[in-house]
Amino acid sequence: MTGLYVHVPFCAHKCDYCDFYSVAGRLDLVDSYIEAVITEASHYRGQSFDTLYLGGGTPSILGAKNLEHLVTSIKAALDVQKFNEATIEVNPDSASLELFEAALKNGINRISIGVQSLADAELKCVSRIHTAEQALTAIGMAAAAGFHRISVDVIIGLPGQTWQALFSTLDRIIMQPIDHISIYCLSLEHETPLALHPPADLPSDDDQADLFVQARDFLQNNGFVHYEISNFARPGCECAHNLNYWRGGEYVGLGPAAASHLHGRRFKNRADLSAYINDPCGVVEDSEELGGEKKLAEEAILHLRLLMEGLDVKNMISGFNPQHTARLTRRLDMLVTEGALLFDGAVYRLAPSAVLISNTVFCRVLPD
Amino acid sequence: MENIRNFCIIAHIDHGKSTLADRILELTGIVHTTGGEQILDSMELERERGITIKAKTVRMPYKAGDGKDYILNLIDTPGHVDFNYEVSRSLQACEGALLLIDASQGVEAQTIANANLAIDSGLKIIPVINKIDLQGAQIDDSLLQLEAMLGLSMDDALLISAKNGTGVVELLEAIVVRIPPPKGDEKAPLSCLIFDSYYDAYRGVIPHVRVFDGSVAAGDKIIIKSTGKTFDVEEVGYFCMRLIPAQKLQAGDVGYIVALVRDAGEIHVGDTIISGAFPQTPAIPGFRHSQSMVFCGIYPLSTNDYGKLQDSLQKLQLNDSAIAFEKESSAALGHGFRVGFLGMLHMEITIERLQREYEQELIATVPSVVYKVVNLKGNELLIDNPSKFPAPAEIDHIEEPIIRARIIVPPEYVGAVMELSLSKRGTMVSMEHPDGKRVLLVYDFPLAEVITDYYDKLKSVSRGYASMDYQFNGYKTGDLVKVDVLVNNDLVDALSYVAASETAVRKGRALVHKLLKLIPRQQFKVPIQAAIGGRIIAREDIAPIRKDVLAKCYGGDISRKRKLLEKQKEGKKKMKMIGAVEVPQEAFLSLLKIEE
Repeated sequence: MTGLYVHVPFCAHKCDYCDFYSVAGRLDLVDSYIEAVITEASHYRGQSFDTLYLGGGTPSILGAKNLEHLVTSIKAALDVQKFNEATIEVNPDSASLELFEAALKNGINRISIGVQSLADAELKCVSRIHTAEQALTAIGMAAAAGFHRISVDVIIGLPGQTWQALFSTLDRIIMQPIDHISIYCLSLEHETPLALHPPADLPSDDDQADLFVQARDFLQNNGFVHYEISNFARPGCECAHNLNYWRGGEYVGLGPAAASHLHGRRFKNRADLSAYINDPCGVVEDSEELGGEKKLAEEAILHLRLLMEGLDVKNMISGFNPQHTARLTRRLDMLVTEGALLFDGAVYRLAPSAVLISNTVFCRVLPD
Repeated sequence: MENIRNFCIIAHIDHGKSTLADRILELTGIVHTTGGEQILDSMELERERGITIKAKTVRMPYKAGDGKDYILNLIDTPGHVDFNYEVSRSLQACEGALLLIDASQGVEAQTIANANLAIDSGLKIIPVINKIDLQGAQIDDSLLQLEAMLGLSMDDALLISAKNGTGVVELLEAIVVRIPPPKGDEKAPLSCLIFDSYYDAYRGVIPHVRVFDGSVAAGDKIIIKSTGKTFDVEEVGYFCMRLIPAQKLQAGDVGYIVALVRDAGEIHVGDTIISGAFPQTPAIPGFRHSQSMVFCGIYPLSTNDYGKLQDSLQKLQLNDSAIAFEKESSAALGHGFRVGFLGMLHMEITIERLQREYEQELIATVPSVVYKVVNLKGNELLIDNPSKFPAPAEIDHIEEPIIRARIIVPPEYVGAVMELSLSKRGTMVSMEHPDGKRVLLVYDFPLAEVITDYYDKLKSVSRGYASMDYQFNGYKTGDLVKVDVLVNNDLVDALSYVAASETAVRKGRALVHKLLKLIPRQQFKVPIQAAIGGRIIAREDIAPIRKDVLAKCYGGDISRKRKLLEKQKEGKKKMKMIGAVEVPQEAFLSLLKIEE
């Protein structure tokens, strides 16, 4: 299974907390960006792809016409007829029936909407440029256009957020025609406006932990499966593209700042739109091919993020040095003894109580 | 010998010693302009802290006003109270001393201490008032203080500005005219004093010596007086910013001897080197092994590095024989060393050097003095590590080392200094007013109170004006208790400390609170307690960590996330595992940083 990711680095406005690569207010560069993506894509012609994910930035800002051009050109350049799963991220403020219909027509079968919150005050606090009503409308339009697979993103730990407020958001979201929810913790990323001027009423880590646990319990009680640390889905509705990341699978990322994992090598494009437009195939950086114990630990950690599926050491040891595998197993068994991991005789899983301190646990999975 | 002048510069910190040395080096043509970099303070740490740790020596040719050629040997001395013994040995190698006083600061406590050392050693003193170019220069006051506080004649004083060179030529002339040439008998058996040494990776320990009698040359056999060990001399020579080999060193000379001495323990400052042919030659008086006043535990962060730490300490000792160390082990920290220092500055510098020059990841424990613990059977135990104290029920009484401190402070700060001193269990011995501008306070303090933060606090309550000098003044019974610290219910011996009964509980609470802030939250609740005997005097709990998770959208950039985890793991590696608790290195020194 191989995935294809396309990074669309345009936004109408940067949100205060976001450290993903995008440029605001440069839609004049969209045409040359799409040409560059096509050039980069043609580089991978002959490679088969199972999933497509248009992420950002704000892919929906492209509008129906550009989106259609982008997707048909990529398919042509790669000689791909169809993707089993093709997702586009949509920001409520740039959602439209026209866009959804164009997406559906071009083989996109899944929508991920950046709802974040259904409290307007919370949205405003982190400079989101849409309202709760716009978000609900976007979901309704996507469903009306014919999408059966709709996911929403929700941020917890927004300034001043209480469980009552978060509950109110989640309670209304699960009533919508959606099958997947990603829950992200608001974090202060280096140099972002939020980190530079953090609001006084930012929930503490402990408050965030409380919110997360309550949100998890609520979603589980309402039929969602907590299948990855940040992801909940109705049974069978997991995101195939993202599952591939956590299973250690291969994927190609197109566009500036997009990451790839191909033929055992991980690399990414430089986060620089104009450099990318100038030379779409010449901005690779941070290329690394992990081997041995590090590679093994990385795979183990990725698998452990999958809370239901977990890590089946026997299934992943092919190709790894048995000594490395033995050492890994010893480290995992120690964590089982301490209660951070569960082991059923075949598969290691993060204990529910360890999910929110999983970095602490993963550090111990890394080799010394 | 007639045309040799051996001299040193004694001064308080910041009174311009290094600047003066640089000017003299320039005037004698040893170096060209220095561009602001001080030449003799070559150790990185010395430059940063603006102090001289190791003595250094320079031999300079000088054509004096009388038309004759002279050899001037400048012997640099360490400038801090911790290094009194080293200072006294450097002084012994000289016939004269420049007593440097900053005209804007006047005579300071340390100036008095070192001047008295020089006078007692029979040196010819040349008083030098420096920084006369400054706006705030109080030349007349400084001259008056010379007479009142040191008994030196103000008529003898030279007025200079080392910074712009005013009066420095006159100073060189005064050195030639006023300081007597060395005395000694070139024909007598060899007798020379070791006043410093350093370690060269290829040539072993190289002692810096002053030859008093006889001569020494390559091929000679020499004996180190205190150990009786014999060595073959490979090379002798002078210091002239680097080592300049010479045919021989003879009476009156200052220079170095290379004799392939591999073990630093063979060469001690103050020892005598004599001729192999005359083993009965007496030692130069005054030699003693330097006495450690402050002790702390030094442990490798990773137990695997024990050998490396031992190696580093040995190498450091080659350069600094005042460091004493022996093996010790701690239940909490494993195998390490108990290291003795001349004082707190010496300890701080040594730890920094181990970390920087030897790249040691280490844990230093809270410094302790040597207590005399007398048990019920009347046995007297000398204990330099609080964790080795007997149980309270076995102790009859405890005696602690006392120092006598001389503090000079402007009158307006006397009240603040007295208040501070009282809080540090000081007792006033005397108060004098040598002039209207300064008060000389003499206090006795428990050394333990002074080694923590007394000096910093003294500086702060006097806005930097107070200066202090001290010397050991015997032992005295104190009302003392040992306080233990428990982390996650395990006693951590490396955190134990001794305190006066009246402050033990307050300190215990403050320490527990400090540890609460320093120790990161763990996967489980961690109680931190302080206890005297079996009685808990303070407790706080570190709540378990609730959130340490990557729960954000991150696309396919797996490498970045792995690197973040690796960085986090590296951070954890810098912590010490106490049972199952990760404790950061600085926690072991947190007693020094508590806010009382």
